[in-house]
Amino acid sequence: MVTPPDNDVLWARALHHSHNGSPALANVSVGVREGEILAVTGPRGSGKTTLLRCLAGQILPESGEVWFNSVPVHTMGPMDRERLRRDRFGWIDTEPHLVPELTAWENAALPLLLRGTPHRVAKAVAQEWLERLDVADCTRKRPAALLQAQRQRVSIARALACEPFVLFADEPSAILHRSDRAQVLRTLTAAARTHGITVVLATHDVEVAGLADRTIALLDGRRVGGGVVTGGTEGRAACSLSV
Amino acid sequence: MLALRLARGAHPLVLLRRLMVAAASAGVGFLLLCTLGYAASHPAQAAASVMRLLWCAVPLAAMVQLAVVVARADPASRPKPGLSSVGLGPFRLAMVAAASTAASCVVGSAIALLVFLYLRGDLGSPPVHGVLTQVLGAEARLPGAGVITLLGAAPVLAATSAAIALRPPANRPDTTPDAGRPPAEQPADPGTAQILPPVTTAPRGLPWGVALMAMGLALEAYAGHGVPPAPESLLPMPGRLGSGSPGVIGGWMLTAIGLIFAGPGLTHAAGRLLSAGRPSALRLLAGRVLQGEAQRIGRPLGVLCAVASGALATSELYGSASASAPGSPFGPLTGLGAALVMSCATATVLTAAVEMRSLRGTTTAALQRLGVTTRLLRHAVAARTAMLFLVLAPVTWLVAELAAMPLRS
Repeated sequence: MVTPPDNDVLWARALHHSHNGSPALANVSVGVREGEILAVTGPRGSGKTTLLRCLAGQILPESGEVWFNSVPVHTMGPMDRERLRRDRFGWIDTEPHLVPELTAWENAALPLLLRGTPHRVAKAVAQEWLERLDVADCTRKRPAALLQAQRQRVSIARALACEPFVLFADEPSAILHRSDRAQVLRTLTAAARTHGITVVLATHDVEVAGLADRTIALLDGRRVGGGVVTGGTEGRAACSLSV
Repeated sequence: MLALRLARGAHPLVLLRRLMVAAASAGVGFLLLCTLGYAASHPAQAAASVMRLLWCAVPLAAMVQLAVVVARADPASRPKPGLSSVGLGPFRLAMVAAASTAASCVVGSAIALLVFLYLRGDLGSPPVHGVLTQVLGAEARLPGAGVITLLGAAPVLAATSAAIALRPPANRPDTTPDAGRPPAEQPADPGTAQILPPVTTAPRGLPWGVALMAMGLALEAYAGHGVPPAPESLLPMPGRLGSGSPGVIGGWMLTAIGLIFAGPGLTHAAGRLLSAGRPSALRLLAGRVLQGEAQRIGRPLGVLCAVASGALATSELYGSASASAPGSPFGPLTGLGAALVMSCATATVLTAAVEMRSLRGTTTAALQRLGVTTRLLRHAVAARTAMLFLVLAPVTWLVAELAAMPLRS
């Protein structure tokens, strides 16, 4: 067994996975460095979501290894993986998927409450994040009364409020209009950089990939090309100003 | 045919629910046939026969409610992209659901007819003797038209109710708060509107329910005043002779309807209690979800409470009388009817809970991606159940006590 490199906080080797026989990932290896923003690009059906879910411990790959901070994720039991997701990882879906019965701030505070943070602290932190994401005026509204862009912002606030070690974002801007898309992604990447959060961002948009430090491309469940360093100076410059 | 094809590939649990509907329909059909048999063999006692027929409406209503909830919970009745791309929209799917409901009920009715004829000895078997002879009316010929009318009642009522309950809402001007949303963000499929959005305000039925309950209890107290406390002549139970006391029965019915109306409000209140103060994640999830789903789960719970309070009051009133066998106020079919109503009410609540769970599937999956443990979700369900029991059990008991009080000596 090869020990993971020191600077890779999350590391996967030779991942194979299929959904009930339909191949999704074939021999994918990837390393994510601490504090970086890694974009996973590729068209629909290229295995981006499956790769993210394998890395986040939501599904176990059929073969291959996933390591987080020198701890093997692929050998963990379901309980341990749930705890790892709750305490260390954040997740942003393509659709907001908020709990419809809870108000915006309750949704954003939910991960904190799950970790046992006192109610008052959780509320304050959630409201602070909602303010940063420009949705402070709808903290008391329920998801049904919000616009789609606002809902996605709340969902991003929910993921960032608990300041996860690694944040997985599965096409977070795909359902938004272009103006919202740029702003949401800029806020997300800037916040991640200021708080040193490692981000794995799946996207099929080349512009979005431009915000990342490094890009890897998937095609038909395989990696194509090497990891491309894309600079991501835009996000770095913005972080000190906007957040 | 499509309904049958969809049913053939369905999950065993879905088929089990259909089977429950068929069994309930068989029970109701059997009760109705017994009424017919009794009426045919006792032409002189028309009043008693009408009383029996009226009592059959209670199990019939419980059966129809179960059929509607089962049809709504049926995955085949929900709009699916695969079916809508071949032109099966929400309207046609409601028809398919009605057809499959009718099919289950017809199967049940056919079984009821076979069992009834077998017990009477009309199928070449020796007729059953003893207490059942009078119940089945074995000595009289059955009118064919009556048999068909009575057996057709359950399938027709259930299918019609399912079609009405599942029909997609008409395109009316949007009055909901999200009316200002751009059209692109409205649900793309009109059928998704059928999945009720979570209610954010308290259901408005609670005051009406309380008012109806109070009216029912008052009416019953007024009508029951001065009735001699002879358990046999108090209230004609199904399968017994005796003149009815319309005031008492009407009072009980009003009380039951009031409880059904109050169900969603009580459920909402239970949810509010659960998430009161500064709730933890568990109490927040459990309570708010209960508040949101109050409309869906509250009505069947109200029915269950009404049935339970009726059963409690009846056992209070007649408990002592049934111990002495000859003067028993319960006829041989009372047990069947009561069991039918209770199991239908329970099955309806369980089916509604299963439906709620399947509709919340995407939210639950999203919560699990956030790291919400299965254990926490289970604890939330347990907390919800416990809270509902704590709120509803005292109300049920109180209503039962109040309903039984005026009739007691």
